[in-house]
Amino acid sequence: MGKLIINECAKLFRRTGTWVMFAIVIIMILGIGAFLKYGEVNNPPQVNPAWEQELAMQLEADRAALEETGQNNATLRMFYEREIAVKEYQLEKDLAPETGVTLWSLMSEAQAVIGIIGVFTIIIAAGMVASEFSWGTVKLLLIRPIKRSKILLSKYLTVLLFGGLMLTVLYTVSALVGLVLFGMPEQARPYLAFADGEVVERSMFIQLIYNYLLSSIDVLMLATMAFMISAVFRNSSLAIGLSLFLMFMGGTGTMLLASKFDWAKYVLFANTNLTVYFDGVPPVEGMTLAFSIIMLLIYFVVFHLLAFFVFAKRDVAA
Amino acid sequence: MSAVLTLDHVKKVIGGKTIINGLSFSVREGEVFGFLGPNGAGKTTTIRMIVGLMDISEGDIVICGKSIKNDFTGAIKEIGAIVENPEMYKFLTGYQNLLQYARMHDGITKEKIREVIELVGLTDRIHDKVKKYSLGMRQRLGLAQCLLHDPKLLILDEPTNGLDPAGIREIRDHLRMLTRERGMSVIVSSHLLSEMELMCDRIAIIQNGELIDVQTINEFTEQATAAFAFETGSLGDAATWLKSDWNALMMEEGFSVEITREQVPVLIKKLTAEGIDLYGVKAVAKTLEDRFLEVTTK
Ligand SMILES: Nc1ncnc2c1ncn2[C@@H]1O[C@H](COP(=O)(O)OP(=O)(O)OP(=O)(O)O)[C@@H](O)[C@H]1O
Ligand SMILES: [Mg+2]
Repeated sequence: MGKLIINECAKLFRRTGTWVMFAIVIIMILGIGAFLKYGEVNNPPQVNPAWEQELAMQLEADRAALEETGQNNATLRMFYEREIAVKEYQLEKDLAPETGVTLWSLMSEAQAVIGIIGVFTIIIAAGMVASEFSWGTVKLLLIRPIKRSKILLSKYLTVLLFGGLMLTVLYTVSALVGLVLFGMPEQARPYLAFADGEVVERSMFIQLIYNYLLSSIDVLMLATMAFMISAVFRNSSLAIGLSLFLMFMGGTGTMLLASKFDWAKYVLFANTNLTVYFDGVPPVEGMTLAFSIIMLLIYFVVFHLLAFFVFAKRDVAA
Repeated sequence: MSAVLTLDHVKKVIGGKTIINGLSFSVREGEVFGFLGPNGAGKTTTIRMIVGLMDISEGDIVICGKSIKNDFTGAIKEIGAIVENPEMYKFLTGYQNLLQYARMHDGITKEKIREVIELVGLTDRIHDKVKKYSLGMRQRLGLAQCLLHDPKLLILDEPTNGLDPAGIREIRDHLRMLTRERGMSVIVSSHLLSEMELMCDRIAIIQNGELIDVQTINEFTEQATAAFAFETGSLGDAATWLKSDWNALMMEEGFSVEITREQVPVLIKKLTAEGIDLYGVKAVAKTLEDRFLEVTTK
């Protein structure tokens, strides 16, 4: 398996297109950094002296909202309970909200680039199997003493490796650019997470890794889908087109459905955004983290069964 | 001699259409086996089934005692193949391409790769990107790719396509060497029928997915009657009896006729007796091609 993955990586990284993708990610981080720096220079940060009063007012509003809507909507109740707990904690510990631009701002803003990484990973996943067919190289690839399923697995693992590497580049390069532009914040500010009815302080670095991984779940699912389409239909344009369409429209479409129909919760895109369970509202009332994870697993397994079954069975006539 | 490859009543049906219909033959150890047939006869389809790219609808294919259906990895180990054009990764160099395939077999050393590159005569250009290769160079790389793991059976679908005469000759010599010295068996399909004549020990002719005949190359060509071209002056009345008695074909400067060797002096005597000027007689050996057309257009 190791040698097969080396083969796939050799094919991937000996193409200029792959390097262009990495260059684009780095340029985008630099762009975001420059933009934030420009904003900081033009509007130097000031500490808001009245932050405690403002936070207290928001807290009142949250409590009122909880009274009003929290009775009949379990998910909204959870949302407000979390908001209230976090704000109470901030007031109690005297934690003023961050005003200046820091390393964290950049690393947090850089999460927007995960969408671009998603597009790139889908393109790579879509080409993995389909390109071998369009190049005609599949004929020489599949006449080796290796089962087709093993070759397919090595290709999928290479897609994961590529996506993971892109994320790692995003995380480390944005941290480095942040350090250079804004320096290390004087006091380490914790992230306030709400877990099991309690507010806990968490290191910002760790929290950002969580956030990166959570936002990568729909990338993972879409890349897996693109890979499946590529293996089943052996056509990379179809795989790229369909996956990108769903990436951009899937979320919106599912939200529209979710407002009308309960079964929308079974749609893939209702479940890909797990961050709603930590700081938001799930699309359909009553959905839980466990439900979404199970749905994601089911989709994941179905995609793979389809890809492996069809790829191992079908005649190669390219 | 033992059979390296055996096809046993192999059938292939695609979308309700029978493309290969009950093909059976064996390839012996150390022989070059030609696979002949007009366009669309099913040569490539048969090769795809032998190497496991396509499923076999009915029957079985056995390579060195291992069925490609039930023991794919065991059977395919014994095969090196080019199916249609040898398409390689164009963005990699020739060497990097070979490394790809070397990593998929056990125990292929750097030394072995170098030896194979030398054998196919690509040493000078092996570190160039394949997109800069000519068709002939790609054929050579394709051949190198199937020799890496010392297979018992080499399958080449139109290996001489795109090679210059020197290259074709080289391939022929390679195949001779591989079969004689290493005991490899080779299956070649080719459209250059005159090439087959020089390369193959036996040939199978298929048409519309059915086997018409398997013969040694000698049997095959011997069955063909030879043709002779007579270069003469004006034939005059002789043209009439030449046409009626000898079935001659009139040409610009004489005629051609299908006769055996023994009949040649008889005809010459007859022509001189009639006072016809004879400038020359040339044997137009009927090529495998003519014989092939004879067989397949029946
Ligand atoms: N995937 C396919 N689906 C349907 N029919 C096919 C398929 N592949 C081949 N055929 C048909 O099978 C027949 C045999 O094709 P094949 O490519 O094996 O011929 P061939 O002998 O290799 O011809 P050529 O000399 O042109 O290379 C043709 O009639 C072709 O149309
Ligand atoms: Mg063919």
